[in-house]
Amino acid sequence: MAVYKRTYKGYAGTLTHPAFRFLVLQRYAFRSIFKSRFLLIGYVGCFFVPLILLLFLYLNQNATVLAMVGQKVGFVKVNGSFFMNFLSVQGVLAGLMTAFVGPGLVAPDLTNGALSVYLSRPFSRAEYILGKGMVLGSLIASITLIPGLILFGVQSELVGYKWFEDNLYLGTGVLITGLVLIAVFVLLGLAMSAFVRWRIVAGALVLAVFAAGKGFGAVINNVMRTDNGLYLDLQHLISTVAGDLLRQSKENDPISGPAAGVALVVFCAMLLALINRKLRVCEVA
Amino acid sequence: MTTPVIALDNLRVTLGKREILRGLNLELRGRTVGLLGPNGAGKSTLINTLLGFWKPVSGTAKVFGLDVKTHARQIRADIGYMAENDCFISDMPAISFVRMAAELSGLPSDAALERAHEALFYVGLGEARYRPLGAYSLGMKQMAKLAQAIVHGPKLVILDEPTNGLDPQARLRMIKIIQEIRALGTMHLVICSHLLRDIEETCEEAVILKAGQVVHHSNLEEERSSNRRFVEIETEGDDGTFADAIERLGCACSVNALGKIKTVLPEGIEIRDIYRLAADRDVQLRRLNYRRDSLEDIFLKAMEK
Repeated sequence: MAVYKRTYKGYAGTLTHPAFRFLVLQRYAFRSIFKSRFLLIGYVGCFFVPLILLLFLYLNQNATVLAMVGQKVGFVKVNGSFFMNFLSVQGVLAGLMTAFVGPGLVAPDLTNGALSVYLSRPFSRAEYILGKGMVLGSLIASITLIPGLILFGVQSELVGYKWFEDNLYLGTGVLITGLVLIAVFVLLGLAMSAFVRWRIVAGALVLAVFAAGKGFGAVINNVMRTDNGLYLDLQHLISTVAGDLLRQSKENDPISGPAAGVALVVFCAMLLALINRKLRVCEVA
Repeated sequence: MTTPVIALDNLRVTLGKREILRGLNLELRGRTVGLLGPNGAGKSTLINTLLGFWKPVSGTAKVFGLDVKTHARQIRADIGYMAENDCFISDMPAISFVRMAAELSGLPSDAALERAHEALFYVGLGEARYRPLGAYSLGMKQMAKLAQAIVHGPKLVILDEPTNGLDPQARLRMIKIIQEIRALGTMHLVICSHLLRDIEETCEEAVILKAGQVVHHSNLEEERSSNRRFVEIETEGDDGTFADAIERLGCACSVNALGKIKTVLPEGIEIRDIYRLAADRDVQLRRLNYRRDSLEDIFLKAMEK
């Protein structure tokens, strides 16, 4: 139809399913994020370690290549420690990704009063948070959870079903740790973006939350002669959960895996409540 | 009888401990309704309640027969809302912004793009549709806001201060588009404005709120015609007895210091009787006006209540 005609008519066509409308936000946000070449290069760089490890897993089972360097098949053990190190490296990258991408998600909408555009439609606050969270969540999943599961799958394929059966806890550990990383970083990124409108400051705060929690926790431990300060150390909580799942727990860790898990759930619930509260205030402003 | 566009039944809304809407009772059926009132009267709260942002503490608010408490999502699907304040994403081109708005209302991506082009052409932004919204003038931003409000073909469009901050030319353009939308007959319009002239030019029904209550609700056309019986007359050659002669016809009459006669024609007396009387008495009628209450008069009267 010619668009130059200055006419208006109602719409009587089909509508999309309401359950998937939050994906609209994700699509438009991705377009905006990847306009930045810097972010695009950074994102591609996040796949460097998984690709190297993938190659390593292949070579680790390749007798011909290993014979050339005088090693036997499976000379490096692929165990909890392997996946723990992988998740640690990718977790740091996920934190950096959150610091760069997170602040641009909600803050511009609040600055420009765009919430009323979203929420005056058949689109709820929960869907808005889900849509914005999916942007960051899918990016973090693509550099932590998905490569981790691919590594686990490739190793299972190369070594055999027996290895898969014996090490299923590794796959589960990668899955749950990946989900924990996604939940923590997504909610932290959204909360900082909702409360701090300057992108650089919000990005710095995402990283500062980790450092501040660690520092404040250490102060509490020293002053009150307790170990409860560790509950404020997000990094410690995440690695305790991961360590517990991947059977890499430190013997003298005063916090158990389940306790760390509960602390992270409480932390995420608090962030979610804060985001919801902030958006509730701004939706009619 | 058709379902009213908006029906309020003893609607009470509180924000914190403050009661903002105090038992509103109202049925709006007109195609274009003007919502008037001084600052703090509760206009924005009423709009936000209709959109489901605020929950009534008691009473009901219905849009097309659907209760805002239980059918907020369905109601929002039928509403297009143009907020008073800036509401856009500044680095996004207008076409993407309007398209996204359509997609959020449920239109498939391709249909949303087509509709976004049409809506932007309709509001006169066709040539500027690929420019980022941040680079738009205030008038263009208002038009883009209107485009996103109508892009999904809503049954009811709520315009909050649509001419806010516009220069006279841009204001006229906005008024013309609103009049065109009204003439299309496919959408109902609720226009919230401080500018009485805007409401007078675009609306057929007016609601005036004051301190959270409806102090006036009328059909503007009926209001105007009810004032047709009030006449102002200027004469030449009157020896001062013309007003007495009009009174003898049965009309209430008064003469001001400048000699201007104001009279109310009772039933059975027509304007031709005044002409006849003037001819009989050889008085020239230099001016004869139906005195019409402007919306400003109505508004001021309502504010005195």
